[in-house]
This record gives sequence, structure tokens and C-alpha cells, in this order.
Amino acid sequence: MNRLKLIGILALAVPGLGLLAFGPKGPKPAPADVTVVEYWEKWTGSEGEAIQQTVDDFNNTVGKEKHIFVRCLSTSGIVQKTMVATAGGVPPDIAGLWESGLAQAAAFDALTPLDDLAAAHGITADKYKKVFWDECHYKGKLYALISTPYCYALYYNKKIFRENADKLRAAGCDPDRPPRTIEELDRYAVALDERNPDGSILRTGYLPTEPGWDLSFWPYNFGGFWWDAKDKKFTFTDPHVVKCFDWMQSYSKRLGKDAVSAFRSGQGNYDSPQNSFLVGHTAMVSQGTFFAHIIEHQAPTLDYAVAPLPVASPELAGTTSCTADVLVIPKGARHPKEAFEFIAWLNTRGPMEKLCNAHCKISPLADVSDDFLKHHSNPYIKVFEDVAASPNAHGSPSIETLPNVGDELANFMTELMQLRTTAADGLAVVQRRMEQKYKDFEAKQALHVKP
Amino acid sequence: MNGEHKNLLKGLAFISPWMIGFCLFMAVPIGLSLYFSFCDFSNTSRALPPVYIGLGNYRELMGDEIFWQCVRNTIYYAALVLPLGLIFALGAAILLNGKIFGQSVYRTIIFLPSLVPAVAAAMLWLWLLNDQLGLINLALHKIGISDPPSWLSDPNWSMPALVLMSLWGVGNTVVIYLAGLQDVPRELYEAADIDGATPARKIWHVTLPCISPVIFFNLIMGIIGTLQAFTQMKLIMSNDGQGPQRSTYLYAVYLYDNAFKYMRMGYASAMAWLLLLAILLLTAIAAWSSKKWVHYGGK
Amino acid sequence: MSTLDTGPVTTMPATPQQNDVAMIAFPTTARGQARVRGLLNHAVLWLLCAAAILPFLWMLSTSLKTLENAMAFPPQWIPNPVRWQNYLDVLSSSKTSFLLWTRNTLIIAVLGVSGTVLSSAFVAYGFAKIKFKGRGVLFGIMLATMMVPFPVTMVSLFTIFRWLGEHAGIQMLGTFRPLWLPAWFGSAFNIFLLRQFFLTIPDDLSEAARIDGCSEFGIFWRIILPLARPALTVVALFAFMGIWNDFLGPLVYLQRAEQFTLALGLQNFQSQHGGTPWHQLMAASVLVVLPVVVLFFLMQKNFIEGIATTGMKG
Repeated sequence: MNRLKLIGILALAVPGLGLLAFGPKGPKPAPADVTVVEYWEKWTGSEGEAIQQTVDDFNNTVGKEKHIFVRCLSTSGIVQKTMVATAGGVPPDIAGLWESGLAQAAAFDALTPLDDLAAAHGITADKYKKVFWDECHYKGKLYALISTPYCYALYYNKKIFRENADKLRAAGCDPDRPPRTIEELDRYAVALDERNPDGSILRTGYLPTEPGWDLSFWPYNFGGFWWDAKDKKFTFTDPHVVKCFDWMQSYSKRLGKDAVSAFRSGQGNYDSPQNSFLVGHTAMVSQGTFFAHIIEHQAPTLDYAVAPLPVASPELAGTTSCTADVLVIPKGARHPKEAFEFIAWLNTRGPMEKLCNAHCKISPLADVSDDFLKHHSNPYIKVFEDVAASPNAHGSPSIETLPNVGDELANFMTELMQLRTTAADGLAVVQRRMEQKYKDFEAKQALHVKP
Repeated sequence: MNGEHKNLLKGLAFISPWMIGFCLFMAVPIGLSLYFSFCDFSNTSRALPPVYIGLGNYRELMGDEIFWQCVRNTIYYAALVLPLGLIFALGAAILLNGKIFGQSVYRTIIFLPSLVPAVAAAMLWLWLLNDQLGLINLALHKIGISDPPSWLSDPNWSMPALVLMSLWGVGNTVVIYLAGLQDVPRELYEAADIDGATPARKIWHVTLPCISPVIFFNLIMGIIGTLQAFTQMKLIMSNDGQGPQRSTYLYAVYLYDNAFKYMRMGYASAMAWLLLLAILLLTAIAAWSSKKWVHYGGK
Repeated sequence: MSTLDTGPVTTMPATPQQNDVAMIAFPTTARGQARVRGLLNHAVLWLLCAAAILPFLWMLSTSLKTLENAMAFPPQWIPNPVRWQNYLDVLSSSKTSFLLWTRNTLIIAVLGVSGTVLSSAFVAYGFAKIKFKGRGVLFGIMLATMMVPFPVTMVSLFTIFRWLGEHAGIQMLGTFRPLWLPAWFGSAFNIFLLRQFFLTIPDDLSEAARIDGCSEFGIFWRIILPLARPALTVVALFAFMGIWNDFLGPLVYLQRAEQFTLALGLQNFQSQHGGTPWHQLMAASVLVVLPVVVLFFLMQKNFIEGIATTGMKG
């Protein structure tokens, strides 16, 4: 064996063996004589730290009193990991899922109903903003409680407004305030568009698909929606819905779909959706509460403000989509009562506000402290709190086949913005497919007689 | 002492670890998946066991537009990646086998793509394939193509992009070929030289037949692998792996979605068994044809 | 073997092992031809290597950047400033436990690779060198097990592991065992690979040993295994890589943060709402890839170097 090879092998083997023998072995085990509650969460980075802090707070106060120790595991692929573990019979005691998956998980009996536990802890509807209390229910039963919620509003670049005041006034817009109606939004957007000499887009006033995370909720801003919760049926072809997607497509038509594609891919930053607004290439975006956090880190000098989303008519003012991370207790969890102690504790004002502030999100509780509003990491937190508390705040529809719908809608919207289909035609296809899928789902559900 | 009987005992003794492992870890899950394919089963809760529905899943698959789209996509994908990958890898291996200066370095570099973690590779390819500023389109601009395709958003070009990505990771196959090329006896090459053979003829008449068992291996594994391709697609293509107009929605990805996203384990199991039958058929054809071109025993 | 046609007469270069692929315009001298072929080989190899090494260079480059430069678009190739700190951050960060993950992955790798190599070779010998009734059928079944996609068997396997823990006293879930114990029962891929290699070894050798009174196991251990060193090295390398980069297994079977492996831990660098520290993620990725690269570089001689001639008369 030549010398180089020997050195190479030693270079690998010695640290390797060293690690094996003397390497770190991880934190000490939990104290004896306590009930250990396994809590699986999705957060990493600074959000993960905030969760760990919350867990530590609980363990050091209520946990100590009641001999409960919550062990938080930060993991990716949380839904898959939880589902496999639940199906395999060893679920965690608490799982941090997304509220959009609640209906499906509940329908497939993967969750423990929490009504009794909630009642025992005095957790009732009046403690929450209506949209968040409703979101945690499926078929009238409570299956989850919120951990960190957020909603959407219009972030706009005040500097761009100021610098283009003349253009705005010429278009009949007020540069000192953001648009309030859809019609105004369009006018502002056109006035603030700017092209490069070669015709490519330098700046858009507004582009629905930038970043476009909440696009499926926009029909609410037009006064309709594609799901009728009362009759449990899809209404993709409702005129309000069609109008909404026609409006969305109009941006692609007006700006030119290739120009839009070039604009969007030229921004790069495949993972982060914030680039365009942060560098001043988009004047207005619809974004979530946590966006302020990103602005603070990536573009701290950005001069921006936040306003409620524009709507088609005044009675729809305050329309926003509210999504949340929720805590559930999977079916078959070993310590549901102790797990709920943690969830209940988190759903009181002190711990909840601390966590939501760390995550730069709003509070799901109806009662919000002044301190929270004054010292929140999002300077415009009041806007978000107000719209979330408004009667026009909407949560994810309670549809058991929501993942199918999500995928189908995503596909449809790509086709729509690429001008390969019209809103009416595309939505008709979605309607047909989703109706069929839902019918199949209900037929299959009927086969299972629940005990 | 019955020789055949002795051989049977010896044979079983040697393969006993695999048989035990099969009985412990594989027989039951595979058998269960066959049963699930005839059931409606969400596999989310012990309180919702499978309910027998006969051929219901299979019938539904036949009428499922997305299923057929995935079948088409996967055939398109495999038809490109399998032959291109095999030939490409073989060519690279033959090149790398020669005594060229720095061959260790070349070999390590060719193998590198297989080592890059999936997350990093996905990020990298998203950048490479970007239609405005990605390296590939910039290079195409340089050689005069003024309107290069939008790899990630054009349904006509998304699959070729996927194929390109898969070919990039061909290092594993190259390594297996390289190991096989070692077993070609020198005497045969020397005999060929004496007969005055050209390099091309040497490859055709000496190299290929000697490594035909390895080619067969890569062919079978290629069939099994390309038809089950999954990870990269999910990470890179838009809409959770489906791609524009579902052009890159591969069979294994739809299967995974049915199992874990749509909570339809029964439906996914039906897909799995259809896939198994297809792979078995192709493998049987390959094995039957192998009698004609695969030489064992160093002959 | 078919007879070789006599093609155009050329004098071959001194190294008989060289396989020249290029056939281009012929310079007049034989030596000239060889040189051109050599150059062309190099050119093609350079092209292939450029394509292959590009991503790794980019990974390296990003791992030395600041976060702003890492997210800049279009990406710059030379980091400016160069930030070696990223590597220190990754190794010593309190949020991630890089050394712990490496240790865990090493444990699983050592146990898994040794299990794979030994058991797969053992089983492959049975399939390749012993003719017994039903061999073909069993081999076919083994191949078929590779054709079942993992999603449909994952939960059942998980349940089996749970059952082993609760009823057979062999605790699997929550330990490393599901990640390396099955490897000791052979892996279909490696059994298939080694079987193909064993089949290329002429039977005359084994026959001679058998006549000399050697046991079957002795033939396996003393004759076949040494001859199959290239293939065994490949198996070991692939097994190591598989375990090193395995994400799904650890995700599903590990329940404690202190058990996490590198692949799983790497995912922790990604953030839900954007804000992924790409420069650190790339630094971590480089650290994850580096040992395997070095291993490959060192081990390739084992499966590239020609084995001693078998001494076979044709």
C-alpha cells in the first residue's frame, strides 16, 4: 500500500474512530418520575428555537408542577412521519401539522377529538377569533388547537409610491394611500409598471403570482368561493370565482406571459419568494404576517406599509385568508391528557403571544394585549389583527379531499397564467374532476363503519 | 449420497440469510400490499381497517386520466434514460479504463454527481435550468440559439430537462462497469492484437461479451430504477413534482402521492402491483433475450 | 468467441490494457494515430468531467460565501469575501449537532456495510455457484422484491418492527437497528450484482478445489471472494453511500433528536418560510460529501486495478 493511500485511510479512520469512541452522545434523558410527552414539530432555525423556548417555559412551570416533561423533536417531513407512526401504532403525543390537512386527517380517523379535554380546561369559542376556532373543527368536533397563525394583507412600497406620485395622480390614484378596491389596484398597478428599453419588465406595480401563495383564496375578495360549506359541494364555476381568475389572467395578458415568465425567473431565488418586493421590483404584494420578519433580515431599509387586501366591493372589506399551524393529538397517543396540558397552556395569552411574536405571527385569541400590539416584530401587526378578527376572515375550507383540490388548482393556475386555457374552461375541468373525486371519496367512506 | 440432494441442501444453506430476511421483513409487507390493492384502505388509523372491494381500485385506475398521464410520462422518461444512460455510462467506463494520466482524478470527478445530497443537487439544477440566467441557456445563447427553451415551465421541454438531470447522475453505473472491465482477461486482448484488431473491433468482440453479465445487471437495474424514479422529480419540478401540465408527473411520484398525500393506500397498492407486473414482464423479456448475448464463466 | 476480422494493420501502443475508442482521421504514422487517439480521449473526458464537477464546484463556492452573496442572482463563482467561518459555524453550532449526526451515521454505516458485504456475498455464492432445484424461481422472487415501490410496504414494515419490539423482545423502533439489521440478511441489489460477478469466474477453479477436498464454504471464502475483490469493493462503496445519504429510513424510524443522521440533519437547515441559510447548507453538504469522495478516491484502486492474471489457459 503506498504512502499516500495510507495517509488517506488514516485521515478518514482516525477521526472516524475518535468520533465513535468519544463523540457527543446527545442530551441527558428526561428526569425520572415524570410523564414524557412526545411532541413532533416542523420548525427549524429561529422558529425552531422559539418553539423549544416555549417548551422549556412549560417544562419549567406547569410541567414541573404536574410532573410532565414535553420533549420536542424538530423534524422535516412531519406529515409523513406522523402518518406512518400513527398508522403503525406508535404516534407522538402531539404533532404540529397544518390546519389545511385537518379535515382529511380527521375524516380518516387519525386524530383524537379534543372537545372533552377543551371543556375541562375552559377552552371555549369565545376565547378565539371566530375564523381560528372554526378552522380547528371538522363536522362540529374539535380536533386541534392553534399554535402559530397568520393571515394575508397588502404590503406596499411607500418609496415607489412617492417617487411615482405624478404617474399615480395622472391615473386617478392617491399616492398617499394604498388601493382599496380591485379596480383601484389595477389602476395603481398599471401606473407603477415600468419597462426596460428592450421591452422586458423592470418593475411591476402588482403581479398576482408574485409570490402567489394565497391565490386560491382570492375569490373571496370578489365575493364568492369555490366551496359551498353548507351544502358541501364545489362551486368552481360560480361567476365570482370565474371573474376572479379572469382578473388574475388579465395580468398575464396585459404584461405578456413571456415577459412575466422572464421577469419572475430573472429574480432568481428559487426558494425565497420575497426577492421581487425586497429589491423594489414589485410595488405591492399580498403576503403573510411573517413577511415583516424577512424584510427586517433581508431589506431592513425598505420603506413599506401594510393595508388590508383590496376587495371588489366595500362590504367585503377586511377579507383575508387565515392559515395556521395547529397542534393535534394523533389517535392512539399514549398520554393525551398530559399532552393537552401543554396545548391548553400554550393557548393562554402569555405563552401564545410570546410564541407568535417570536414567529412574527398574529395571535389566534380574541383577547390581545396592548403589549403584543405595541412591541410586535411586525410594525403593522394591528392591520393583521384587525382583518383576522373581521367577519370576512376565512380559513381553509373543510374538505376531506383538499390535497387533491390543491394540486388540481395549482395545475389549473399554471395553465391559466401561461394563457393555455381560459378561466371558464379551466375551472369547468377542475369542477368536473373534483366533483368526481369527492363522490368517490364519499362512496368509499360509506364502506367503513366506524365503531 | 444423492448429489442433487446434497446440492439442494448446500444451496439453501447459502441463501438462507436472504430467505430468513425475506420471511421476516418482506413476505408479509409485500403480501399485505397485494391484499390492500383489493381494498379501500387509508392506512391512517387502526380503527379504519381495509375493506375488501374486489377490483374496484384497478377499475378506477383504468378510468383515471392522471394515471394514464403518468404512465405516458414514465414510458417517455424510461425510453430516453435507459438506453442513453447505459450507453453513456459504458462509453465513459471504457474511456476511463485506459491508462490515461490522472485517471483516478477523472473517475472520482465522474462519480461526484452521485454523491451530492439531493437537496443541494435540486437547488443546483433549479439554477442551471433557469430560463433567464441559468448556465444551460446562457451557454445556448453563446452558441447562437437566441430563444432557448424554458426548461422548467414549458411542458415540451420539462421532460428532456429531467432526462438530462438523470443522465448527470450516471456515475454509479460507470463504477459498476469499471469493476466489470477488470475481469476481462488480458490474454484475450493480446490475442486480438496479434490478429491485428482495431480498437472498435476489440470492444465489440472482446470487451462487450466479457462484461455482458454486467451489462445485463445494469439493464435489469435500469429497468427497475427508471420505472420507479422518484426523488429528484419531487424536489425540482413545480407543483410538488408534477411539472407544467403534469408533464413530469411520474408513476412512482403519483403512487407516493396517493399513499401519503391523498391517504389512499389501497389505490397506491393497486398501482404498485400493476407496476410490478410491468417490470416483471420487461425483465422476463430481457432475461429471455440474455440467453443470446450474455456469456458467463469468462468464456 | 467469433473470429476476429483483420482490420487495417496498426501497431498497438505499449499498454495492452488500453481501450481506445476514438477512430478519427488518420495521421500517417502509427505513433501519430495513437497520440491523436490519446488526445481525443482526454478531450472527451474533460468535457464529461466539466459537466460532472460543475455542481460540486458551485457547492464549494457557495459554502464560502456570505448569505447575501449566496442568494445573489445570477450567482457569482468566486466568493468575495471568502468566508471559512461557515464551516466552523456548521460544526460548532448549537442548533445543529453535526458531529453527533456524523457519529450516528458512522455507527450505522459500519454495521450496515459489513452486514451487506458479508451476507450478500454469501447468498450470491449460493445463487451463482451451486446448481440446485428451484434456484431460478427463488432468484426471480428475489428480483421481484426490488420491483415493489417502498410507499406501499413502508407502514407494514414499520408495524413489523413494532411487533418485534413488543412481542419478540427485539426493540427496533427508536433505535438504529431498523437501519442496519436488515442489511445482515442480504440486499437484493447487491446479491444480484455479486451473482453476476461470481458467474464470470470460471468453474474450473472451484472444480479443482472440490476435487482437492475443499468444503463449499472454503471455496467461497478462499477462492471466490478474493477473486471478486473489485465487485466487493463496489458493493461496500455503494452500501456506504446508501447509508450515508439515506433520508427516508432515519426519518421514519428514529424518534429522538440525538439519534439523527447526517441526511436527516441536513434537512434541518431548510426553513419553512424562506430564509434558508444557503451558505451554511452548502458548507454542511460539502462536509457530508467529502468523506465519501475521499473514500472513493482511495478505494477505486481496488476495483480498477487489474487483478493478477487467473492463469487460465484458453
